[in-house]
Amino acid sequence: MLPRLLALFIVFVFFSGCTLFRTAVAEEEVPLEYPGPDSEIASMLDAHRGQLNHLMDVKIATVKDTLRFGKPESVLGNMVSDAIRSRAANELGKFVNVGIIGDSSFNLFFVPGRLTLGQMYEFMPYENHVVVLTLNGHKVAELINQVAEMGGAPVSGVRFNIDDNNKARGILVNSQVIEPHRKYRVATSSRAANGGDIFPALWEHEERVDLDISIRDVFVDYFRGKSELYDITDGRIR
Amino acid sequence: MRISRKEFLKQAALFSAGSMLPFTLSAFSGSKIENPDITILYTNDTHARLDPFPSNAKEFAGLGGIARRASLVKKVRANQKNVLLLDAGDVFQGTPWFDVYGGKVDLKLMTEMRYDAMAIGNHEFDRGLEGFAEAAQKAGFPMLASNYMVRETPMNPFVQRQIIKEFDGFKIGIFGLGIRLQGVVDPALHGDVRYMDAERTARRMVESLRNFHRCDYVICLSHLGYQYADDRFDDVKLASSVEGIDLIIGGHTHTFLDDPVIINNSEGKATMITQMGHSGVRVGRLDLKLSEANMNHNFRYYTIDGK
Repeated sequence: MLPRLLALFIVFVFFSGCTLFRTAVAEEEVPLEYPGPDSEIASMLDAHRGQLNHLMDVKIATVKDTLRFGKPESVLGNMVSDAIRSRAANELGKFVNVGIIGDSSFNLFFVPGRLTLGQMYEFMPYENHVVVLTLNGHKVAELINQVAEMGGAPVSGVRFNIDDNNKARGILVNSQVIEPHRKYRVATSSRAANGGDIFPALWEHEERVDLDISIRDVFVDYFRGKSELYDITDGRIR
Repeated sequence: MRISRKEFLKQAALFSAGSMLPFTLSAFSGSKIENPDITILYTNDTHARLDPFPSNAKEFAGLGGIARRASLVKKVRANQKNVLLLDAGDVFQGTPWFDVYGGKVDLKLMTEMRYDAMAIGNHEFDRGLEGFAEAAQKAGFPMLASNYMVRETPMNPFVQRQIIKEFDGFKIGIFGLGIRLQGVVDPALHGDVRYMDAERTARRMVESLRNFHRCDYVICLSHLGYQYADDRFDDVKLASSVEGIDLIIGGHTHTFLDDPVIINNSEGKATMITQMGHSGVRVGRLDLKLSEANMNHNFRYYTIDGK
């Protein structure tokens, strides 16, 4: 009875006059919208939780600050694109100029504390692999301008400014100006290469190499290697 | 029952989310609407979201969760005699639950909730055909895909083209459509399963369900996607080009349709398209009010929220 009175009191404070009675009644007539968990299903789920935690509660790194995706650049955006670029270069045994991935398929941001394998699998829930595309300088410039139009995206190996008209200015790829006819290697996810992340400049590539590396493993290994994660960005997009 | 102010405000917002559909016939009103004859509940693209979204989710923090969805379904069942519970595919992949259990827990709990059928989404191939079959053994309901040729593959025992549900003599035919596999599913994963043209298959299915099985109402569980700017086949194109589907419960594009979209095709018949976003954040509800001459629809959705 006490909680119920309390609820009525809260309603009373919020609403006044004759609306009080009606709203209070309406609330109790509509119990369906926000149900508590069904106890049978919840306990069946819990019966499987031990194994889940056993496999997933593995420490990958320690998060020291709140880390987010954002525009024009962000700590998580920089990290994931750096991770793809460096891993692709390692696997190929060749220099890779650019790393890029859309941030829409990432599900989490990080809060200070233990970063676990389970969180990593939610962070990137899909099993894509790494793809390296060869683009000429024209296409790389087009790609950077698409990123500028979006207000920024996770990109590695590149520095530029976004001007008031959402154009990229002062583009440097690996600290050098773009040469239109030179060939550049761009590492990305299979999802982006297949058109899932909307970077149309990637779709007109020359060579395409699909590497047998899960994109999730790339991130797990990268964060594990860093061990402590801080909110640091380097001003690659300004 | 204790209801906080915050919760009240959310409930108030939810009232406005439900709506009567524009083409509803007005033969019945008031009292009839409160006692619908057949209630269709549905989800799509639940993506292994068995627990609610964690607090550090980029979107939908705290929403979803199969135990709360189950309790909603149970409460609806307590009030409604005739309930259909359907899913438009992509139960697989998205959280560590899938990495550890490969969809088995999802399908087991969906069986416990008495799902009647689900479509096959592209992510249902993520563990290959053997992986699918292993998980599908936990499913006490059929997987519907009329345009996937699954004969002589491990998928075969679990997949049907259609089911027919009869409620007090009213026959509802339900068939499934899967997305074109090429470019979406790795050939190494889909093996010998072959995609057949969705439009042509749909036409054949409707013809069979309407004229041979004498269904009164036809539902398509579609994992085609709501709408594409290019020429990929989608739910809107399906509704426009194939007559005789009453309801398309869609998926794949993770589209949150606040209201069903009505497409009138060339014969002047209407097809309703609905889709509930993804991850079990929403559950859709369509109540069919039946009479001999005409039928009322009442739509609303529930947001799975609260503790």
